[in-house]
Amino acid sequence: MTPQVRASSRHKNLVLFVVLTAGIASGITIFSSASTVADWLQTATNGLFLPILLSLIVTFLLDPLVLFFERAQISRTSSIFLVYFILLALLGLILMLVGPPNWQSMYDALRADFPRYITRVLEYLNNLMTSLYTQFPFLENYDIAGKVSHGAQEFLGLVLLGTPRSAMRIGSLFLLVPLFSFFFLRDSQRIMRTLISLTPNRYFEMVLDIYDHVSWQLANFIRGRIMEALLIGIVVWLGLSLTDIRYAPLLGAIAGITNLVPYIGPIVGMVPGLVIALVDLGIGPQFWWIFCVYLLIGQIILDNFILIPILISRVSNLHPLWVILAIVMGGKLYGILGMIIGVPIASIIKITLIEIRHYRSSFNLSQEIMLSRRE
Amino acid sequence: MNPFWSNIFRKPGYEGTLAYFLGTVPPFSALGRRDLNFLETLIHLRNYHPGETIFSEGDIGSGMYIIRSGGVRIDMKDEQGQNKVQANLEAGDFFGEIALTTPMPRIGTATATEQTVLAGLFRADVLDALRKHPAIASKILLGLNRILSERLQHAGLRLHGLSYAHLEPSYEEQ
Repeated sequence: MTPQVRASSRHKNLVLFVVLTAGIASGITIFSSASTVADWLQTATNGLFLPILLSLIVTFLLDPLVLFFERAQISRTSSIFLVYFILLALLGLILMLVGPPNWQSMYDALRADFPRYITRVLEYLNNLMTSLYTQFPFLENYDIAGKVSHGAQEFLGLVLLGTPRSAMRIGSLFLLVPLFSFFFLRDSQRIMRTLISLTPNRYFEMVLDIYDHVSWQLANFIRGRIMEALLIGIVVWLGLSLTDIRYAPLLGAIAGITNLVPYIGPIVGMVPGLVIALVDLGIGPQFWWIFCVYLLIGQIILDNFILIPILISRVSNLHPLWVILAIVMGGKLYGILGMIIGVPIASIIKITLIEIRHYRSSFNLSQEIMLSRRE
Repeated sequence: MNPFWSNIFRKPGYEGTLAYFLGTVPPFSALGRRDLNFLETLIHLRNYHPGETIFSEGDIGSGMYIIRSGGVRIDMKDEQGQNKVQANLEAGDFFGEIALTTPMPRIGTATATEQTVLAGLFRADVLDALRKHPAIASKILLGLNRILSERLQHAGLRLHGLSYAHLEPSYEEQ
């Protein structure tokens, strides 16, 4: 090997070495900065999840109303303002008639009552346990009552600590949700059109068609779910306020929200009402009436026979296994909120997949028709 | 109106807008300016390179295209499977309108012959407009229907002429 060649190969080695080092260094930098950026993003968007979710819900609910005014040759922006104005007027009217809710006294009462309910449940559990221990002595190793008491104390602490803090957040929600939903209502179509127009020419028609099908189904599904929760909540509230039970509006809200989770939600939503009824009213006609309101009127008659067939298409039915998976995964990601919205999101994914498959199969069918015609 | 006044009230540059262009296309020639402005919001503008396929024979169609600028060639396969040029279209022409109302497979292949801008009107948007603004949407559909009816009648007459062609050879030319 001549010295020249050796020198040039040394140069090459040097360049290679420098390039490799630079590559690895920049790779590490990008990786670490990427995780920092992800951290920043997470911190920045942390408080935005709930307002955006609520704004989307409000948008889906108000869209038909806005459309109603838009059909009367009113511009979309004016229609949105009109709907907002009407809603505000309605809210004001209700406040005038019923009077503003006394949040402070409700909060204080709940704070005083909650430990009482827990103690009674624990007493009942302890009685049950002692009778169980006599029959199954090996159960003494498991301190079930202790665990329940511990969990309840933790939950209470969470609620008491969290409420003043979340009151701040609720204040910001009153500002953010109307603002966000206004822009969602006004511009969502334009935003989606811009996004769709980015697809390459070859797939553009297909993407547009699939988007149309999916969005139509999804809007129906989401609107149906929200209406279902609202109606169940109202019916439970009304049914409970016929009895002497306290916190009927709160219990109605809990029943409505938990109803978003199929199979398990209605049972979970029933528990607080039944516990309060058991502790305050004891087992009697009122307790059985409350039980009937939850199970018979709320679940069987209203939900199964009236609401689900009307509001919710069969497409969105999930297998119980998927429901449980969605609840667990949602809970891991976003806590209680994630558990509630995990199942609707899983249904949304399912609807999307089914619509795409449906579109593709009709696509294949039409090609077969073409081929058979040519033969 | 007096030309002087119409000049004053005319918006500057309206002739250059997409809405004005749409008004010059036969199916939409009967629409007023407000309707055309609405139609403009339904249109997707797409750019194509020379030689790029817009759609192929057998694709499931979902709408019509109007040529804003450039040129488009329509090919159809004959019995031997050979591509046969059916038409060369230029700015202001439209094609694919059958697919606007029903999801039918395309019966020809459309290819851009030069740098082409197409204004696409698709079923999804028309159906959406029909739900939200039925009055304007039905005007748009009526215009399309007129064009299709004229064509159907024309084709019917041609067919009629063909069936008598072997009796009277000169019938075709009339």
